[in-house]
Amino acid sequence: MLLEVEHLDVFYGKAQAVHSAAIGVKPGEMAFLVGRNGAGKTTIMRAISGFTRAGADSRIHFNGVDIANHRPEEIARSGLRYVFQDKRVITKLTVRENIHLAAYPFHVSPKAAVAKICDIYPRIEKFLNIKAGGLSGGQRQLLLIGRALIGNPKLLLIDEPTEGLAAGIIEDVFKVLSQLKGDVSMLIVEQNLDLVRRLADRIYAMKEGRIMMELDNSADSRSGSNLEQFL
Amino acid sequence: MGAAVCNWCKRLEMPIIVFAYLALIPLLSVNMASEIIIFSIYALSYNLLYGFMGRLSVGPMLFLGAGVYGAAMCCVYLTANPIACIAAGIVCGALLGMLLGPVTVRAAGAAFALVNMAFNQVGFFMIQTGLAGWTGGSDGKSLYFDPIGPLDFNKPNHVFGLALVCLLAAFFLMRRLTESPFGIIIKTIKENERRGNFLGYNIYGTKLLVYVITAAVSAFAGALYAIMFGYVTPSFISPARNIEVIFATLIGGRGNIYGSLLGGAIFILISSYLPNIIQRWELFFGLILLASVFWFSKGIPGIMDLFGPKKQDVNASAKGGLR
Repeated sequence: MLLEVEHLDVFYGKAQAVHSAAIGVKPGEMAFLVGRNGAGKTTIMRAISGFTRAGADSRIHFNGVDIANHRPEEIARSGLRYVFQDKRVITKLTVRENIHLAAYPFHVSPKAAVAKICDIYPRIEKFLNIKAGGLSGGQRQLLLIGRALIGNPKLLLIDEPTEGLAAGIIEDVFKVLSQLKGDVSMLIVEQNLDLVRRLADRIYAMKEGRIMMELDNSADSRSGSNLEQFL
Repeated sequence: MGAAVCNWCKRLEMPIIVFAYLALIPLLSVNMASEIIIFSIYALSYNLLYGFMGRLSVGPMLFLGAGVYGAAMCCVYLTANPIACIAAGIVCGALLGMLLGPVTVRAAGAAFALVNMAFNQVGFFMIQTGLAGWTGGSDGKSLYFDPIGPLDFNKPNHVFGLALVCLLAAFFLMRRLTESPFGIIIKTIKENERRGNFLGYNIYGTKLLVYVITAAVSAFAGALYAIMFGYVTPSFISPARNIEVIFATLIGGRGNIYGSLLGGAIFILISSYLPNIIQRWELFFGLILLASVFWFSKGIPGIMDLFGPKKQDVNASAKGGLR
């Protein structure tokens, strides 16, 4: 397993948001976390990426190394990137500067970084010199996914990539994700079951802070048996 | 085409700055021009912290004072060589920044502003009372700097030349910093420092470095003040004067290095000439500050934009792309 999470507990004050969750992502695999709002999906992503503290007995191993409660920048540098749900880019910087920003910590040439994102999403090229605050939600999402790929990460955590996007743009996001499938491992929080069924190698269904079901082969995942009950 | 024009502008900016300050001499006086230049260096340093990184400090006088007293103490107790005194002032400011930074940069918002003000109060007390035996307390100290060859910084014209060279150096440093990858990280911290963490940056280290650079450059301006005025008093570290550089930064435009030069000049002119016209000039000063905060958050450059050519609509230019 590339990512192995076991006994993950997360508390917000005295309230327990995640109860002994266990998740695994294999190299090259595309895994999905599905569940209703408030089920604890984003909390799991935040705990894995170091944004939220995991409980004392929690075990989070990434690429064979224990990363539980490490600092977010250390986790990012180890090859695990998190694409937030809110699609926030640095609005005062240009699109080009937003891309450069992701290149410097990984010693990637800024030009190569821009070229990589233009390769994934060619239409970004004509927006490179405008302030990123002027991008639409779909453009921002694709910029953020592309930016997270700079420096060849081993695992991407993507939180609700299609939330709030129009149908046409969801299709563009789908195309980009399917293009990346197999090259980089992904753990994606998603409520769009159509997208999940088309792409998933593995699905975790969550309810009230607990992992209720795991579909661990492609056939099961595609049929997505009874997933609706978790949404 | 636009990029070529921009390159020409950059090549010409240093000569334009030199010419603008030289033109101030016949209009004002050489001393006033020097004061504007030195204050502009101070404003440049503060703009890095507040304008670019978004950290409003209400205690920047501490670092200006560290430079003033560092240079003055060097002059009185060690050597009257002005270059050594400037170096001593910068080192004092940088060391103080390194000492306080690990505490202050952990705070943000009101806490950052107030922690800095508290340290400024402590510094003021130490200069005025705690270390009065060395600093001269409220009476301060008179300073005389040795000439270096033909350069005698006890003469106003020579101080003007020194200040102008120092301003160009500080301006060049700030421009390089803010236009470099480091500058992009600083702007990211202003908007969303958490995102910086997730991109793999050591945000705490970056904030600390900016704080120390601000402290060192403010102290640089302070050391130049010590040379220009030839005396030091606790007014150079007084917390009551913290608003001056904040005002200059707001008027000139936050996050705009040219704005620091403009805001610095406007503040010195207002505070020097307005009292001759209006007895309670601070009222006018306060009104400008209110207008800057509520209506003209980009300062004078923002007002100029209102009358300039309209910028192209980004979404219009993006038409045909994704929604």
